[in-house]
Amino acid sequence: MEYVSPEGLRLDGRRPLEMRQINAEIGVVVKADGSAVFEMGNTKVIAAVYGPREVQNRSQQLSDQALVRCEYSMANFSTGDRLRRPKGDRRSSEISLVIRQTMEACILTHLMPRSQIDIYVQVLQADGGTRSACINAATLALADAGIPMRDLITSCSAGYLVNTPLLDLNYVEDSAGGPDLTVGILAKMDKVTLLQMDAKLPMHIFEKVMQVAMEGCRAVAQYIREVLLENTKELEYRRGL
Amino acid sequence: MGLSLGEKNYIKGGIADDLRCDGRRRLDYRSIAIDTGVIPQANGSARVRMGSTDVIASVKAELGKPSSYRHDCGKVSIFVDCSPTAAPMFEGRGGDELSTELSVALERCLLGGKSGSGAGIDLSSLKIVEGKMCWDLYIDGLVISSDGNLLDALGIAIKAALSNTGIPKVEAMPGTSAEEEPEIDISDDEFTRLDSSKVPIIVTLTKVGRHYVVDATIEEESQMSSAVSMSVNRQGDVCGLTKRGGAGLDPSIIIDMVSVAKHLSQQLIATVDSEIYAAEARESSA
Repeated sequence: MEYVSPEGLRLDGRRPLEMRQINAEIGVVVKADGSAVFEMGNTKVIAAVYGPREVQNRSQQLSDQALVRCEYSMANFSTGDRLRRPKGDRRSSEISLVIRQTMEACILTHLMPRSQIDIYVQVLQADGGTRSACINAATLALADAGIPMRDLITSCSAGYLVNTPLLDLNYVEDSAGGPDLTVGILAKMDKVTLLQMDAKLPMHIFEKVMQVAMEGCRAVAQYIREVLLENTKELEYRRGL
Repeated sequence: MGLSLGEKNYIKGGIADDLRCDGRRRLDYRSIAIDTGVIPQANGSARVRMGSTDVIASVKAELGKPSSYRHDCGKVSIFVDCSPTAAPMFEGRGGDELSTELSVALERCLLGGKSGSGAGIDLSSLKIVEGKMCWDLYIDGLVISSDGNLLDALGIAIKAALSNTGIPKVEAMPGTSAEEEPEIDISDDEFTRLDSSKVPIIVTLTKVGRHYVVDATIEEESQMSSAVSMSVNRQGDVCGLTKRGGAGLDPSIIIDMVSVAKHLSQQLIATVDSEIYAAEARESSA
């Protein structure tokens, strides 16, 4: 399969450094304290935040900071082949852990001791980059819930196929067997909080691919800021300001 | 659901006076919003919103073997998943009980008895090669947000998803012997629409105090003594009945609830059909 054609076009017609179409919406789940839908191309993810609220399991209560919990689940119809996934399988647990650790780093947990913040992420459609979409959706949902954060965390994936760094891999490119790098950054501080890669890359190429992924993260952060600003304007309008 | 005594009395008193918390009368439905084709990689899908209740249903068709006692029919199975985004208590295995209850109730209402009689979908239309190959329909429901009346919302979503479903046209090569696997050619762009006109919809009547309400919110459901869910098709035939809740009901009350539900269902079917039609028109023009 020709992942990058001689003219420099990928399988879905994008350029190597072009991201997929992003779309985000806030306040989708009315019952939750904060929620958001995030779409990156065909990957669609819903995140809902419940909290800060009383800790359900007293033994896990922390006296000086909030407890952050996260669960990642995939819908049965999210992938091309319908797969009945058991809840709590290894991949879901690992991604739940990754999202929790990433978001915990940016939430100001010391402001809410003895409380609990639950982040639930549900994948509706999976077409590569689900980890990144989940983190972006979780950031928006936390902002919608009004939970104090140090910074916005945004995430994007990148790869290297046919000697070209590619930004924002979809499922087909991800399954090609090349390296798959996921990066999560604190947008304004420009610091990396999440970095995961599989397969192998020479060091100088790794630096290039990582720069590409970070550019993608910055572009997502720009979009997220616009969405939050629109939302705030809407809230002001409703309050009659 | 944490409700104070004052709130509980307010809900019960309102229902007794035919004025519910959101201003509806006892037998009024919330406004229903339907979108079809929300999951592009499924054969059919729909999303239904009733107030804050938000559910998605998707239909996937896969090749399978007919069961040994029904050679000329395909198979249908329904699975419901309650996402933790709807409520924190659905985290981990917490939603399993409700998911199973909803799946079984939907299968009972929509798929008919063990012999296949009374099914909403014509299973013989799913046959490809008698005794060897058929279509297996997997209907998956996902509850994204729950504000009561999940069974009705899922019933409408499944009906909309089935009417949106396209089964690929299959050409079976003739002349294969009885032992061999038949060779088939699945078309990529020709689809037959599934006939969903006989699919029933579900009406749930929730008894609070001495009156019953339709389309209960989650606060009203917490005050219920029992509930009766009935599935009715376009012809007005009752296709399935489930009574939930601990309190006993006088048989005459159940008969009354059944007739009330039948009456409501005709109106609901008309609303749902027009909404599905509008949703499909929006999808094809988009």
